[in-house]
Amino acid sequence: MHLFLIIPLAAAFMMAILARTGDCVRDIISGLAAISLAVFSVLTLMAANFFHSAVIVKSFAGFMPPAGTAFVVDGLSAFMLVTVNTVALFVVLYSAGYMNKYTDKWKFQSLFFLMISGINGVLVASDMFNLYVFLEIAAISAYFLVAFGTEAEELEASFKYAVMGTVASAFILLGIAFLYSHTSTLSLAGIAQAIAAAPSARIVQFVSVLFLMGFALKAALVPFHAWLAYAHSSAPAPISAMLSGVLIKVLGIYAIARIFFSVFGASAGICQILIALGVLSMIAGGVLAFGQSDIKRLFAYSTVSQIGYVALALGVATPLAFFGAVFHLFNHSIVKSLLFLNSGSIEQMFRTRDLSKISGVVAGAPVTGYTSIMGAMSISGVPPFGGFWSKLIIIFACLQAGHPVLAAIAVLVSVMTMAYYFAAMTPALFGAGINSFNAVKKVHGIMNVSVMALAVLALAAPLALLPEMRQRLIDGAVQALVNGSAYAATVLGAIK
Amino acid sequence: MLEIDLLLLFMIASAIIAVQVKDLLSSVIAVGAVGIGLSMSFLIMKAPDLAIMQLVVEVLSLIILIRATIRKDLPFSASGRWAFNTFSMILFLAVFLVFAYFSFSDMHRFGAPLMKVSQEYLGEAMAKTGAHNVIAAITLKYRSIDTLGEVAALFAAVVGVLAIARKVSRPGGIRK
Amino acid sequence: MVTYLLCLVLFSVGLYCVVRKRNIIKIIIGIGIMEYAINLFFILIGYRSNGRAPIFADDQAVVNMVDPLPQAMALTAIVISLAVTMMLVALAIRIYEKYGTFDITKINRLKG
Repeated sequence: MHLFLIIPLAAAFMMAILARTGDCVRDIISGLAAISLAVFSVLTLMAANFFHSAVIVKSFAGFMPPAGTAFVVDGLSAFMLVTVNTVALFVVLYSAGYMNKYTDKWKFQSLFFLMISGINGVLVASDMFNLYVFLEIAAISAYFLVAFGTEAEELEASFKYAVMGTVASAFILLGIAFLYSHTSTLSLAGIAQAIAAAPSARIVQFVSVLFLMGFALKAALVPFHAWLAYAHSSAPAPISAMLSGVLIKVLGIYAIARIFFSVFGASAGICQILIALGVLSMIAGGVLAFGQSDIKRLFAYSTVSQIGYVALALGVATPLAFFGAVFHLFNHSIVKSLLFLNSGSIEQMFRTRDLSKISGVVAGAPVTGYTSIMGAMSISGVPPFGGFWSKLIIIFACLQAGHPVLAAIAVLVSVMTMAYYFAAMTPALFGAGINSFNAVKKVHGIMNVSVMALAVLALAAPLALLPEMRQRLIDGAVQALVNGSAYAATVLGAIK
Repeated sequence: MLEIDLLLLFMIASAIIAVQVKDLLSSVIAVGAVGIGLSMSFLIMKAPDLAIMQLVVEVLSLIILIRATIRKDLPFSASGRWAFNTFSMILFLAVFLVFAYFSFSDMHRFGAPLMKVSQEYLGEAMAKTGAHNVIAAITLKYRSIDTLGEVAALFAAVVGVLAIARKVSRPGGIRK
Repeated sequence: MVTYLLCLVLFSVGLYCVVRKRNIIKIIIGIGIMEYAINLFFILIGYRSNGRAPIFADDQAVVNMVDPLPQAMALTAIVISLAVTMMLVALAIRIYEKYGTFDITKINRLKG
């Protein structure tokens, strides 16, 4: 379990030590680290299903909670670990080729693995303060990675992101302080028990609001979404992929799900707020994406919209909705990383991000072109890609729960998504090719490999709907959400 | 406890000075005053480790901040929606404080913490870890992951500052 | 009760500074003030009337210690806020080199 933390931390440290050696050594080490992380995450998922205990607990330094801290992996954590580490693997492969554009690659790799260790830490933390510490590690690395190109716009974007993110973290820390004064324990299971004893104390409501403000900003839910467009359009492509595909999901959505469903107990008020935020994000993200000429900004607003879907599904809070939320999370991570990595390739080929100036991607770089088409189709909800199924499930869940208006909004936004994706990307992909096309660089081989692998995953995602696969992969996550209040009991039971 | 309230008032006054004053250097020094007040509060609240730590970090932050402060603050210009923005911010803060005040009623009285988990720390720390200082036992044994995390965060900050401060970011010069 | 409230007033002063000030350095100062307030709040929560510092001594039996856990948390939080301050100031210095100003309303090249 602690391998999830030790491997990336060790890799980050080694990158710094091996700063002077050639790129090859460091690339190989980073590739090995990423592969091992991905393999471990899959093994953990299989172990979690195998034991049927739904929770794996492993203590650190021999002290058990509540005095010590432990790592806890339940169905939701295991599933997200697989998502995160798989996406990270492909992004690492991609950045081996892409980051030759920048100097001082070792700093990038070091910060990148620190970010991964922070994200993994958030996923396995069973203790409120641990969660906060790893959140900060991931966030600090992300702030620096966004500014990695050190040009004027990148620094500005990073600074605004950093200030907003730090204020959000401050709210979260304040919430932790209030919560501690009320429950006098920091382990998530202990807090869950203390809150179950007194659920409607005013302090719990106040802490919920603080947490919601903080984590909603990390998740880029409207109205806290402003930093996303800045950060994504200026960051290097692999970082945009990680930010949009992984960081938002774990630091924002997973944290909200874990805290509000497993610890606080899903109250009706929270669910309604989640629904409201989700709907706002879906609509605002869709509207803002129209007429964007910068390809990465388009993707960024699309991310805001899709995260709105997940928040909406979490708010509806039926088992089918949870399934849709988790599945959509997985699909979106894969597909959005794919799209962002491709945008990096496109930017490298054409030296611009302006969609009106790009044309002929399919002609010039078939891998990039076709995988972008596949990615756009998956996000817009075109069968047989995974995105279609996950959106369908969310819409059905809304209908089933008796919210026809929400289902209608979801359908509408899905149509909007399709519209702006195809309106923006068709001329870019299919045009005749610009004259200076012969002078553009070709896409590096390994970048193609990782992008193709992601596209294959996007295609294969609907396989997860088959009952056998579903039981192995996603059901654990759904159970963890549905039985939120059982989290405390299972963790404490596993400790004894 | 009257001393802590007085210290808090002093800190608030220094903070307001830091926020409002035009000269950036004076502003940074006022923040230094807030930090010293904080350190003294830690002493009064019987947290000597923290007081030392706060002083050290305070000095470091002041050095870093003074390195960056070379100009005056900008001239005040009430442009556009200044009144509306300020008013809405103060309104938000007032609402925040009111709600916080209500939730204080659920909190324990000042000076009587619940200390469920901490009983175990206080009772067993000496026996299990052999450390006299309970804080050291907690940060180095019971919750060593937090310490690992904070070291990793510092490492990330150092590497990041090195990454940002480099002169040549792309081989062959800046793109645009 | 008043003590807690004063601590949150300090937090609000910092938050006001972050949101309403134009100078980048003032924004960083505001964040610093917010962090101080939060650390103080941790310690206030853990305080026990007539308590003693949580350090065992060989020659006397120390009873009635203050709560050590918030102190450990605040210790970690102080270090993390140092990392954040370092980061923000480094960004600010580089921004000054590129833009020539600390005014955040002028640092606005990213549109939309």
